[in-house]
Amino acid sequence: MNVPLPKRIWQAFERTRVGRSIFRVGLPQSNLERAQAMVSSFLLHMQPAKVNRHSLRASYSLGLGLVSLYLFLILIGTGVLLMFYYVPSTQQAYDAMKDLQFVVSAGLLIRNMHRWAAHLMVLFVMLHLCRVFYTGAYKRPREFNWLLGVGLFILTLALSFTGYLLPWDQLAFWAITVGTSIAGYAPVIGQKLRYLMLGGTTVGQEALIRFYALHVFVLPAAAGLMVAIHLWRVRKDGGLSRPDEPGDVVEQIELSQLPTNKTYGLMELARGTTPQVGRNPEDEVFSWPHLVFREILLFLLVVAVVLFLAIFWNAPLEEFANPIHPPNPAKAPWYFLGLQELVSYSAFWGGVVVPGLLVTALALLPYLDRKRVGIGQWFARERVVANTIFSLCLLAAIVFTIIGTYFRGPNWGWVEPWRKPPVVTEGP
Amino acid sequence: MNDPSLRKFYGWFTALGLLVGLLVVVGYYKDEFREWKVYQRKFVQEETRRATTPQQKLLAETTAVQVRQILLPELHRVDRCTTCHLAVDDPSYGGYPQPLAYHPLHDQHPFEKFGCTICHRGQGRATTVADAHGDVPHWDEPMLPLQYIQASCGQCHQAADNPVAPELARGQQVFEESGCRGCHKLDGIGGIIGPELDKVGARRSPDWLRKHFLAPATVTPGSAMPPQKLSETNLEAIILFMLSQTGEALPGYYASMKVIPSASQGQRLFEQKGCIACHSIDGSGGKIGPALDDVGLRRKPEWMIQHFRDPQAVSPGSVMPRFGFTEAEARALTDFLVHLRDQKVALSLPALMSPVERGRAVFRKYGCAGCHGPDGKGGVPNPNAKTAQQVPGLIYVADGYTKAELKARILNGQKEINALDPKRPPPPLYMPPWRGTINDAEVDDLVAYLFSLKPKGDDAGF
Repeated sequence: MNVPLPKRIWQAFERTRVGRSIFRVGLPQSNLERAQAMVSSFLLHMQPAKVNRHSLRASYSLGLGLVSLYLFLILIGTGVLLMFYYVPSTQQAYDAMKDLQFVVSAGLLIRNMHRWAAHLMVLFVMLHLCRVFYTGAYKRPREFNWLLGVGLFILTLALSFTGYLLPWDQLAFWAITVGTSIAGYAPVIGQKLRYLMLGGTTVGQEALIRFYALHVFVLPAAAGLMVAIHLWRVRKDGGLSRPDEPGDVVEQIELSQLPTNKTYGLMELARGTTPQVGRNPEDEVFSWPHLVFREILLFLLVVAVVLFLAIFWNAPLEEFANPIHPPNPAKAPWYFLGLQELVSYSAFWGGVVVPGLLVTALALLPYLDRKRVGIGQWFARERVVANTIFSLCLLAAIVFTIIGTYFRGPNWGWVEPWRKPPVVTEGP
Repeated sequence: MNDPSLRKFYGWFTALGLLVGLLVVVGYYKDEFREWKVYQRKFVQEETRRATTPQQKLLAETTAVQVRQILLPELHRVDRCTTCHLAVDDPSYGGYPQPLAYHPLHDQHPFEKFGCTICHRGQGRATTVADAHGDVPHWDEPMLPLQYIQASCGQCHQAADNPVAPELARGQQVFEESGCRGCHKLDGIGGIIGPELDKVGARRSPDWLRKHFLAPATVTPGSAMPPQKLSETNLEAIILFMLSQTGEALPGYYASMKVIPSASQGQRLFEQKGCIACHSIDGSGGKIGPALDDVGLRRKPEWMIQHFRDPQAVSPGSVMPRFGFTEAEARALTDFLVHLRDQKVALSLPALMSPVERGRAVFRKYGCAGCHGPDGKGGVPNPNAKTAQQVPGLIYVADGYTKAELKARILNGQKEINALDPKRPPPPLYMPPWRGTINDAEVDDLVAYLFSLKPKGDDAGF
């Protein structure tokens, strides 16, 4: 038998006492061991032993949720490294950025990775949300998981936004000044909310320490917990969404319906289209290797993309924050530019009503759109109305964001990006 | 595990694994390659070449290749310039090309205490040529061109006190005489038509300043400032003086240079404490104490210092009070009095001057000449002003105003200047109200000076 060298080393290690104690099953050889490998490993046990072929189809899920999770993990890793150097003080934060760039080994690379992974995560969480909408995957029994997803989307934005301030450069200072003033437009509580965020009326040391505490502890802890619940829910709701098949049990299984003589049945207590329920065995394959290998490959791909971006494109760092010299125009982070564009028309409607309605509509969506049609397929014909409405909102968001990003110049006036910007001068 | 459907996985694993590995290598190489290492290796080579004994050679070859930095917590700076400029403190490298050139002045300004960027500017934390020299986007402080380096002396030293910074002193003189303060505030003194200049040196480049002096409107559209007619030397000097105005407050040790015992510091003290009330210089002043013209010949400096600290200790029975001068202040006063015997020129002590002389100083102090011309002769253009499109001269004010009227006019100003042609933009220059800036005694002196401007024997003014 021609066994490759890495595999032989691995097998030799597996046979040692230490190897056996860590990897109880080892590289699985039989179907029984494949199932055991999934159940006996902590990292793998949150996934089922067998998985539906439909869930593995890359063209269905596009792996967007998984990519978001990987980016989150990369962010935690690089974020911890950055914390070793960063000091949340208005006097020292900017210097720490400079030191990372000029004297810390791989400091710039780590910061670049963090920056790119952060932007990509915002993007991929948004894409994931769109995928779930267009495949009708938020419908029963996954309503609550959609709600968790909306919560994670907001947390992602909050994480990115709080991280934006930390370099304490002009970009950071004015993006946060603009971003928090959008929050200030909310009626009654707006100014109080802004005061709460900033710990004052302007962006300063108090705001920096608040954003720092939120960014490195509160928000990641909350996001980590919610990701765990989100993934657990995927499992409990019967895996990834897919079209209903004859015999699928969608209703809640009552405890009384379970056989009373088997206590382990509680472990698999799940609603909806579980792999075990009414399922044609030919549709299922073992998670090891079919699911796990794909996951590892996707992780490698994400790491490669983030590394590539980080090596060749530096994270921006502008001048030291200067409260008396606003850039013209001062712009919020890109994912809030659509909002800033709306605010430029009307602070109240654009800054409060529209985003408020959008978030409420997103949260309530699964409870409003209850018809169980078009689940598990892209752009289902039966959902043409819902898809059209969503697409129009999405298009509007994209158009406003593009306008805010590329077509707005000094004093938020209209500029055409392909023309040379007018020279703005100011007094001495 | 010989399932053919799994074959393709191994291909992908290999490909992606290699890709990630390759990227890590590229990232590592890019991080590991740093410009400064090239310069350090060159330095090591040069040191090795110059070594004459085996010990020196060994020492040179084992020089660590590492970032070098000067930590200056008081100045909020970390200067890593010496990472590339490795021989700044080694005189044997005099005349070497950069980055290995020797830097003189080490004795007066030890680099470990001053670093580099406090004088040369640039970005001290950076370790690449472009970043460190500040020629990159998003860095406000590029290196100061060497021709303007004296601008930095002004941060610690009084411009007039420093004999090795003549350009700076000259720049200050041009600034005061051109009447810039008529429109601009510096250190809180000056007008309100133009912006304050306290931090102008940190924000503007020499090139910008040059354009601005010659044709203000080209860099600041709509500027009311008249183009300045300056000779090339005076232009360079005033640019240098502007560059020295960085507004950076230096901490104790460095700021103390400003009050280092010096004759002019002593003169300021002499004026402030009113010494002239009891003592006289050049025949003017009080008669209670002795005249001070030749005190430098009569007394030793040690005696004078002691005398300033405690008069009774060295001349029992003296009625001179203890002013509580510090050691440094006593030295400065001594310096001033010792120098009196060298200076045959009359000192311009306010208490000794006539109101007209004091008024001339006020005219100069607040930069009235900036708009009204030297000695109030007029001639500064003010487009579309009814007064011949110029700011009016002041020679004949004595004919048109009473003293009280003129005083009110100075204090209240005139915001609206009558236009020659109402359809064109209003005249940019106007008379700012000086109330609150100028004090009452100063206005009286100024009015006296302005009244004195009327040419003698000329009564046919209006």
